[in-house]
Order: sequence, then structure tokens, then C-alpha cells
Amino acid sequence: MATLTMPVEEKKKTYEQEALITGAEAIAIACKLANVDVVTAYPIRPYDTVMQYMSQLVADGEMDCEFIVAESENSQFEIVKHASVCGARVFCGSSGIGWMYAMEVLTVTPALRVPMVCLVGNRALDDPGAFGVEHNDALAVRDLGWLLNWVDTAQEALDTALIAYRVAEDRRIFVPLAISCDGAFLTHSQALVKVPAAEQVMQFLPKYDRGDLLLHPDNVISVAPQANEDWVMEIRRQNYAVTERACDVIREVYADFERIFGRKYGNPFFEEYMTEDAEIVLLGMGTLSTPVRVAIRKLREQGKKVGFVRLRWFRPFAGAEIAKCLERFRAIGVIDRDLSLGAPDLSGVVATEVRSAMYTSAKTRPPVLDFICGLGGREVTVPDVGKMTDIVFQAANGKAQPLTQWIGLRG
Amino acid sequence: MSTLNPVEPLLRSDRLPHIWCPGCGIGITINCFARALIESKIDLDSVAVVSGIGCSGRVAGYVNLDSFHTTHGRAIPFATGLKLANPKLEVIVYSGDGDLSAIGGNHLIHAARRNIDLKVICVNNLTYAMTGGQSAPTTPEHAVSATSPYGTFEPPFNLPHLVEAAGAVYIARWTTFHVRQLTRAMSEIFKKKGFSFIEVLSPCPTLYQRRNKMGDGLDTMKFYKEKSRIRHGAPTSEVGLTLNGEIIVGKFVDRDRPDYASLMRAQYVEALGDRYVECRETTCN
Ligand SMILES: Cc1ncc(C[n+]2csc(CCOP(=O)(O)OP(=O)(O)O)c2C)c(N)n1
Ligand code: SF4
Repeated sequence: MATLTMPVEEKKKTYEQEALITGAEAIAIACKLANVDVVTAYPIRPYDTVMQYMSQLVADGEMDCEFIVAESENSQFEIVKHASVCGARVFCGSSGIGWMYAMEVLTVTPALRVPMVCLVGNRALDDPGAFGVEHNDALAVRDLGWLLNWVDTAQEALDTALIAYRVAEDRRIFVPLAISCDGAFLTHSQALVKVPAAEQVMQFLPKYDRGDLLLHPDNVISVAPQANEDWVMEIRRQNYAVTERACDVIREVYADFERIFGRKYGNPFFEEYMTEDAEIVLLGMGTLSTPVRVAIRKLREQGKKVGFVRLRWFRPFAGAEIAKCLERFRAIGVIDRDLSLGAPDLSGVVATEVRSAMYTSAKTRPPVLDFICGLGGREVTVPDVGKMTDIVFQAANGKAQPLTQWIGLRG
Repeated sequence: MSTLNPVEPLLRSDRLPHIWCPGCGIGITINCFARALIESKIDLDSVAVVSGIGCSGRVAGYVNLDSFHTTHGRAIPFATGLKLANPKLEVIVYSGDGDLSAIGGNHLIHAARRNIDLKVICVNNLTYAMTGGQSAPTTPEHAVSATSPYGTFEPPFNLPHLVEAAGAVYIARWTTFHVRQLTRAMSEIFKKKGFSFIEVLSPCPTLYQRRNKMGDGLDTMKFYKEKSRIRHGAPTSEVGLTLNGEIIVGKFVDRDRPDYASLMRAQYVEALGDRYVECRETTCN
């Protein structure tokens, strides 16, 4: 467990530099700052930009790590999994169908307690092979014990990658973590990013220490021995216990991040925009926040009091906190950039989770509508947001609305 | 006289213009393939083209034949299914070096081992082109790629040697400069029973040649012309590729051994005697 006692020296902050970089580059730089030991890659758009940046950093001697282009995603994730068991800090990633091709490995890593940190450059699953963003790739591991978050900007990508190592490698957690960056909209868009100094990162991020779980000749252990019904429930329970603790650890880590780097993220689990006086809110994950914010500013000019909640952490799902935040609004519209075909009310993944959290934890019962929008990289437009807002207002005013609606679909 | 190019009926003109870059070699390979189909007078209804994913994988979408654009690396298993369901089909696997030998490498060697009657055309541009030109298992040592800015150091596969060891019955290599030989090889494989493999070296000026300062598509044709040496029957152990060295081309292997279907039949007849009834043909029209 990481305990940090060193005070932040003011002058450290001055080492911070600004750089114009993409979301993918921000992740690569975070890995360099985190002193990652082993990186594996297999190309797939849009994740592959990160491997290109990283191979350049490694080749230029700026990043001291082993880098290998594996022959498929399956071996790519296998290699880092085992490097991690031997005590190496690792980085890996993929997109869309490539992430799915690694599924065998993705499934076993939580039970093996491998704190690998991955980037999912979100991409629609095949078919029909679209390159654009959709969230079902990363969401495919939501029930397997992975921690999952979605970021919105290149700055948040860099910061969250550092936070990710701290959270995943905390001995109370020790499970894999995937950071989702919307394909193209974030992986390939440049923005000004504050790049922290290596010294700051050293203060924030202790060495990766597997302790008694280290596979080493001096520490003879057997990883992944066969167990049957005699032990399976107990093994599962250990992963369950991680999810019970995860919210507290994440809160701690964000507090420390703020202390050391001076950047505030407020509530780690979600971010609110113009919600103070809002009557209704929209809720979503990732870069759709950009058009939503623009639209909200316009809608407010028309007197429509609408706000936005951007979910950062999907696993753990901070249900009680989210419900507490949402119970104060008259109606809620969730924007799902994903599908959960056949789910209750045929809604997407996020809406279904939000409704479940509201049912058990909220004091009020505002209608929770779901909008399937922006699939396969289609833009979530400002008029789309206007339309969704109007529908949510109608629901707030007691006019029954279909629980799930597709927005931005060609007629 | 018709002004129609003879290969045009074999292409889905409504899908043109294609996605390939100027100077790319993939189009040349299709031209040869179409001519081979015409010359061999094969019944086009019995031909199916299966490709994986990549620039080369897009071939399936441009040929006016029954075709399937599968997932990355999975062209061979898909083709195996087609062939088993309808043994009368002439199944062509048309895909890239990365697709066939990296993520799909396991399928490649197992299909050759079984000697299933598939015809594989491997467009080898020495890189994963569609994703931006990263090092692949075929990238020659010292070549620069998106993931090896100062040169690759992993030894590449010698594909003819690999598939010969695994059991392929027909193996040839040509470049996009050798259009006549390539066309002939493509018509030859239609007559062959068993796992047949043609490696076609093809330029990717956008990603591979540019990064390695080897010029454009035309320069690559000149390079192929200069560097190629025809050596039919060359031992495949000697045909490995290097960055700037000689390119040995030719028909390296043409041998016969029972294919998967005949081995299966023989085994069942031996084990079951008269009780063995050949599967009824799947109707396919
Ligand atoms: C499972 C999976 N992983 C990765 C990809 C991304 N991808 C698309 S094409 C390609 C490489 C293609 O290389 P190659 O087969 O050599 O064909 P080329 O583009 O060079 O013609 C890759 C890795 C994918 N589509 N699916
Ligand atoms: S990237 Fe290379 S292989 Fe792909 S179309 Fe362009 S030239 Fe051809």
C-alpha cells in the first residue's frame, strides 16, 4: 500500500511543462513518466497511435523499457500479463475487435491479480468494421473484475494514466485497469497538456511491489493452479472484495493527486456541468461532453435549465453517490454510446446501471430515459442534444416518453 | 470491337474508385488474378474469394465473385469451412502477409499440414499497411517501420520455407513486376489439388518504401526488376528476403500428396468399410 508523507515543494510545480499533444500521446508520455518496464503492441486503429509514439520514445532512449510488437492481441496481452507477475510495470492496449481478440487473457487477469494498465482506444466492434467510437469494446469486461474509466481530454488521459497505476498497483486492489479514450475524437485530437515533472510523478507513484505474489526464484509460488468447486467461490470473493474497496482507494488516490500535482478533479467518479440550478440533466461518458456542453450553453440562453453529468469511473460504479447526485433532478437523460441488446427496456449499458443505482439508492424516482446516440463514430451534434433535452423536459413535465430512443438515426 | 477491358466483368465497377494509394501493387495482383480466371476458363460460379483484414483484404470487396471479407487473421478457417461445406468450390484465400502469417499464422501452418484444398494468395508488402506500417513478421531486418524508427532487428519469416515445412504442395513467389509469371502461377493453382501458396511481393510506397527511402511505385518496379532472379525449384531455405538483397522468385515447390478430403475418405473407408457413406453434396446454387 502506498503511503506518501513527503510534502510538495512549490518549486517542483515549475518543472511542469506544456505540450501540444494528442490523447494517445498523452498516454504514452504518462507511461514514460511512470517508468513502465514492458510495453507490448499489436496494431489496430485508433489505439495504434500510442504504440507508434511509444516506439519512438523507446528508440530514442527516452523511455527505458522493453517494447515488442506481438503477433496478435492475444499474445500481446499474455506477454504483459506474465511480465507483470514477475514484477514489471506494464502497459498494453487495443481497440474494438482487437480488444475482443484478447478476451481469453482479459478474462483471467483479474483473478490472477495482475495490475496491468491498458488503453482502450474505443472503436465500434466488427462488423461492419467501422473505425469510429463506440463503447462496447471496453464494456465487454465490465463484469469480469476490471476497473474501467472514461476520460474526456488529453490532460485527463495523462493524469488518469498516472492515477491508474497508483490505483491498480495498490495492494488492496491489484486488478487490471483499462482507461478508455474515444477513438479519433480523443486519441487523435491535439490539445495543450500540462506534463508533470518526473520528480512529481516519483512522489505520487511508488514502485510496483508484488510482495509475496512476486514470481521469482527467491519466492517460490505457483501462479494460476487449477482449482475446482472447493475454492472457486473463495477466489471469486477476493475479486468481489476488491470492488468493495475500490471506491475508497480511488478517492484517496485523487486526493493525493491533487496534493502533489495541484490539479483538482473534484469528485473522482463523475463531473458535473451547470447542474447547480438544473431541472433536468443529461449523463454520458467520454468526449460527447464537448457537444453537450456547447449545446447546454445555447439551451440555457433559451431558458432551458439543463445540466450534464459526465461519468468517469464505470467500474467501480459509484452507485450510491451517483444516485444521490441524480435524485435532485426532475428527469434524467442518459446518452449511451453503446448497446446492450435485449436489456431491460432495450436500453444501453449506462442507462441500465443508472436505473439500477437509482432504484436502490435514490430518494426520488425521476424518469430515467435512455438515448442511443453516436454509434460507430457518428457525431453527437448540438441539435441532437437539443432534441434529447426537449424529450427529457417533456418526461419531467409528466408526458410519457419511450424509455429508449435512437437519436441521430437516418430516417 | 468492345472497349471494355477484359478484366472488367470480374470487378465490381460500382465499388470503384478503390481505396488503394497510387503506386500500390495490390491492384496489379487483381489484374493478374482476373486474367488467370479468364485464361483457365474456370466456372466463375464455383469460385469463392475469402480475405482477412488489411489493404490486401479489401480485394474481396472488389472482385465480382462470391466473396467474404472475414475478421483479421481468420480468412483460412473461414475458407476451410467453405471448402468442407461445399468441396466443389474453388476457394481462394486472398490476403496480406500480416493477416496470414502474424495473427493468422497458426491457421496458415495447420491448413498446410492438413493439405486442405485451398489456394492462398499472400500479398506481401512487408508491413501491416492498413494500420500505418508497423513491423510485421515479414519485415526484413534493418527496415524502418512505424514501430522500428531505427530499423527492425527481429528476423522475419521466410514464408515459402515455412509453408513447405508445414506441408504445402504448391509454392511460388513472384513480384508485381512479374505479371505474366504471376498470372500463370495463379492459373496453375486452380489445377492443383491441395494447399497451394503464392507469395506476391507488392509495393506499399506510402508506408514501407517511403520510410525506407526506396522511392515510389515505379521505383519499386525497377527495384523488383533489378533484384529478382528466377530460380524455379530453389530450395526454400535459400529464398529468405532481405532489405536490399536479391529476390529469388519462381515456382519452388510442386509436389503431390493426398489432400484433406481424400485422407478423410480413405480413413473412413478403412475403418468402416461398406458402412461408410460419402456425405451428400451440399446444394449450393
Ligand atoms: C483482431 C484485430 N486486430 C487488429 C486489427 C487491425 N488491423 C487491420 S488491418 C491490419 C494489418 C493488415 O496487415 P496485412 O495483413 O499485412 O495487410 P496490408 O494492409 O499490409 O495489405 C491490422 C493489424 C483488426 N482488424 N483485428
Ligand atoms: S497503404 Fe500501402 S498497401 Fe495500403 S493501399 Fe496504400 S500503398 Fe497499398
